[in-house]
Amino acid sequence: MIRAEAITLGTRLQDVSLLLPPGSLTAVVGPNGAGKSTLLLVLAGLLRAEGTIAWMGEDLNHIPFPERGRRLAWVGQDLQVDFAFTVRDVVAQGRHAFGDDGEFVDDTMRAMDIAHLADRPVTRLSGGERRRTFLARALATDAKIQLWDEPTANLDVRHSLEVLQLAMKLRDEGRAVLISLHDLRAALCFDQVLVLDRGRLAAGGKPETVLDPELIHRVFGVKASMGREMTLELP
Amino acid sequence: MKRSWAPAWFLALLLVLAFMGSLAFGEVRLAPSEVIRALIGRGEGLSRTVVLDFRLPRALVGMAVGAGLAASGVLMQSFFRNPLASPGLLGVSTGGALGAVAALALGWASNSVFALPAASIAGAFLATFAVMALAKREASAEHLLLAGVALNALFGAATSFLLNLTAGRFEVSGQIVFWMLGGLENRTWAHVWMVLPGTLAGCLLLLPYRRAMNLLSLGEQGAQSLGVNVRRLQWEIIALSTILTALATAVGGVIGFVGLVVPHILRLGFGPDHRRLLPLSMIGGAAFVLGCDLITRFLPGELRLGVVTALLGGPFFLWMLRRPA
Repeated sequence: MIRAEAITLGTRLQDVSLLLPPGSLTAVVGPNGAGKSTLLLVLAGLLRAEGTIAWMGEDLNHIPFPERGRRLAWVGQDLQVDFAFTVRDVVAQGRHAFGDDGEFVDDTMRAMDIAHLADRPVTRLSGGERRRTFLARALATDAKIQLWDEPTANLDVRHSLEVLQLAMKLRDEGRAVLISLHDLRAALCFDQVLVLDRGRLAAGGKPETVLDPELIHRVFGVKASMGREMTLELP
Repeated sequence: MKRSWAPAWFLALLLVLAFMGSLAFGEVRLAPSEVIRALIGRGEGLSRTVVLDFRLPRALVGMAVGAGLAASGVLMQSFFRNPLASPGLLGVSTGGALGAVAALALGWASNSVFALPAASIAGAFLATFAVMALAKREASAEHLLLAGVALNALFGAATSFLLNLTAGRFEVSGQIVFWMLGGLENRTWAHVWMVLPGTLAGCLLLLPYRRAMNLLSLGEQGAQSLGVNVRRLQWEIIALSTILTALATAVGGVIGFVGLVVPHILRLGFGPDHRRLLPLSMIGGAAFVLGCDLITRFLPGELRLGVVTALLGGPFFLWMLRRPA
């Protein structure tokens, strides 16, 4: 679905190559400033970098703008809004590349648990509600590739788990989902984990092989030990 | 959600009332029936002359100026993602002012009626090109904004310098000051043809951008990820905004706060959706400027239009700043 080769952007990203196959759930982890957000921006075609990027086998540079909006959805970290659009208006923007046909809007608002806020201005939402609104906008695109930058930041435990569960559902539908995360324990249930360290890909592969205590210590500077964990899951 | 167009009809009614008012009121007061008779080419000679040769061109210029400035304000606010942005921010108005003042101070304006508007338009575009050059290609909104602040200061200083040069030539410096305060006095059909077709075309060209402007006002990257060619959209709306501001400044001088106050009030009342906000602002801006121009005719002394819009807009702006978000 996405193939990126030798992505380089100054010192922010250096020689990063990756593959996101259809029906896969990938986590990007790394310390602050490792380049996670930058990587997502570059993959989404929102920031130019050296190297090649292909979406569904087609060179990104050859994909015209409206088609980009149909193939890939991106949710950034910055959720500042200065205009009082309603939640429904914002979610409906996800259908921009489809001529604003309004499809999926109600479904995705329900899926993100914001249907009851539909007519409320986004300027009057909490951080978590706002994040769910922008996630719903990305879902409404029905795009085959979903890139979410720290989607669980400022979400409570239940909504975090729901977002991760939703990501798995999208994976099961055959989409490629890439999520940047700080929670290494959550990353354990992904199909693939990419570890970024100072702009370079330090490791990539199955979580149980990638996230070993030695690498975690080297990249994050913390001691990792398994076991004695509280587990949280949706009822 | 069902969207009512009732506000548009209400604003249109206000506009019609302000339009009729500006044809009826002044030194010679005319009854509505006299105005209508004059408009369809009947009526006595004096009222026909007053309406067709003086007040009609003035009202048409005022409508074009108001619609253009308000639309330009909506564009700026969407571009900067800031409801407090306005056409003057990029230095476009002061650029236009500098051009016009140069035409007056250097004597070009006495050679041709078109010299002053032409110089004003040239100044406005000079300002836009300067901002574009200063802010480079991949500039963020903040960079553009700061470039506008610097240019505003620069053009303001240059204008003051030219004003100093004309010291002693009271007629010219009087004209310059008069023009810097903005107004619609003595507008002729030449001014109508100068501003109206361009403003009308600009406003119509803007309408297809409304949906994309909704996306842009919630963030550049998000808009681009949803399929908008953001870079192109931004330059197109900046160019159109410059043209609209330049045309308005060319025929009316510096008339502040229209682009700020009108879209802001309408946004408070009817929401930020540009599909409604943009056309409503055009109608509302036209009505606001005509209304303010009417006020200048009722108040004692020769109060200028730019002074009235500032007297109404300034306190409103301060109130907005103090208002919790």
